[in-house]
Amino acid sequence: MLNMLPTDSYRVYILVVPLSILLLAVPLWIYSGPGPGFAALVVAAFCFFVISSLVRKVVKAREQECLLDLQLIQSQKLAAVGELSAGIAHEINNPLAIIAQEVEWARHQLQAEKPDGKSLAELKDSLDEITRQVDRCREVTHGILDFARKRDPLVQSTEINKLVEDMAKLVEREVSHEGICVIRQYEKDLPPALTDPPLLRQIVLNLLNNAAYAVGQNGTISVETRMPDNGKIEIEISDTGCGIPKEDLNRIFDPFFTTKPPGKGTGLGLSLCHSIVIRLGGTIAVQSEQGKGSAFTVRLPLEYNSHKSR
Amino acid sequence: MNIAKPKVLIVDDEQDFLETIVKRLLKRQVDATGVDSGREAVRILQEQSFDVVILDVRMPGMDGIETLMEIKKRSPLTEVIMLTGHGSIQLGVKGMQLGAFDYVIKPAEFDELLEKVNQAAERKMLHEERVRKS
Repeated sequence: MLNMLPTDSYRVYILVVPLSILLLAVPLWIYSGPGPGFAALVVAAFCFFVISSLVRKVVKAREQECLLDLQLIQSQKLAAVGELSAGIAHEINNPLAIIAQEVEWARHQLQAEKPDGKSLAELKDSLDEITRQVDRCREVTHGILDFARKRDPLVQSTEINKLVEDMAKLVEREVSHEGICVIRQYEKDLPPALTDPPLLRQIVLNLLNNAAYAVGQNGTISVETRMPDNGKIEIEISDTGCGIPKEDLNRIFDPFFTTKPPGKGTGLGLSLCHSIVIRLGGTIAVQSEQGKGSAFTVRLPLEYNSHKSR
Repeated sequence: MNIAKPKVLIVDDEQDFLETIVKRLLKRQVDATGVDSGREAVRILQEQSFDVVILDVRMPGMDGIETLMEIKKRSPLTEVIMLTGHGSIQLGVKGMQLGAFDYVIKPAEFDELLEKVNQAAERKMLHEERVRKS
């Protein structure tokens, strides 16, 4: 990457600028005769050296600037990778520790001369726990795989209101027991959008799931669709839940960032949403006030254009 | 864009539901087959290919999520519509993440289900087209 500096084109100037001066000076010399022409040539030669050294300096400076930019991007990438691997390591290490412990305990049970009912029950417990922890690990790796799988969206004509309502219904069934009420406000006559329905469902369901978690009990989740201007649609999912502290707001889309207790969430949900929205050529924004609730707004193009969004 | 006759596999452990829905789908120009367990679904998928699988989430033995994983492993282009009797967001999130096409609450309206089947079949066709091009 580093040898493909964009300043390569600037190198041309080192030659072109002084040469064009020379080209100007020669006709001048011929036109004005040998006397003053010679003086002109001296001036031209002087200009040649001054300008070429100046251009050289500028080019060098540009090169350095580009190099620094590249290095900065590289180091930011490395930092992101570092953070990501730390997250993965952390998410996988905890279940691994539990598995190791359970295995040791199971071994201990087996070492008993005659395994009785009690130790068999303990063994079963250990196996169950190991299965649970393996599931937890699997969830993490699946999340990462999903993240890495750069599947191009498969575009189909989609009724946005219907898609959102389907997911809202699914969530409503479960949260109504908790005294959470789901309010809808759908824009009428929304034209069908060209987008990837399962990917969009994944986003909506994830956001609804988060909203339900944030509310916990007794509150409302609002689902809204809008068409702010031609060619764009907005889906807003807001809740009256706990809200997000200011200091966390710019980290919520980072992979593995979670405030849920260990094992309850992988911290991949929102980062997945973010990456899917980007893939669909849209944006996702959040507004939140601690103690009052949060609102997530997904803005999508009415027509996904694979060339524009790539 | 509609596939002439989508080939659909319905997986549900409730025999009554299974029979009725197969009958109704057949009547509506859908080549429908029914099986009553996840294991049976995976077996039949080895023998023949289907465009769309309608899969009950809750089944004894191999449950819906396991069956979904197995289906997506063996034939990733087959689209899967999950049927659920109760709203389980967690299962929904999991299913969608594993590549399910949609998540429908039972009892689903028949026409709605049919529309989703057609949409899923269209998607599979688009997918195959893309694979062929690349």
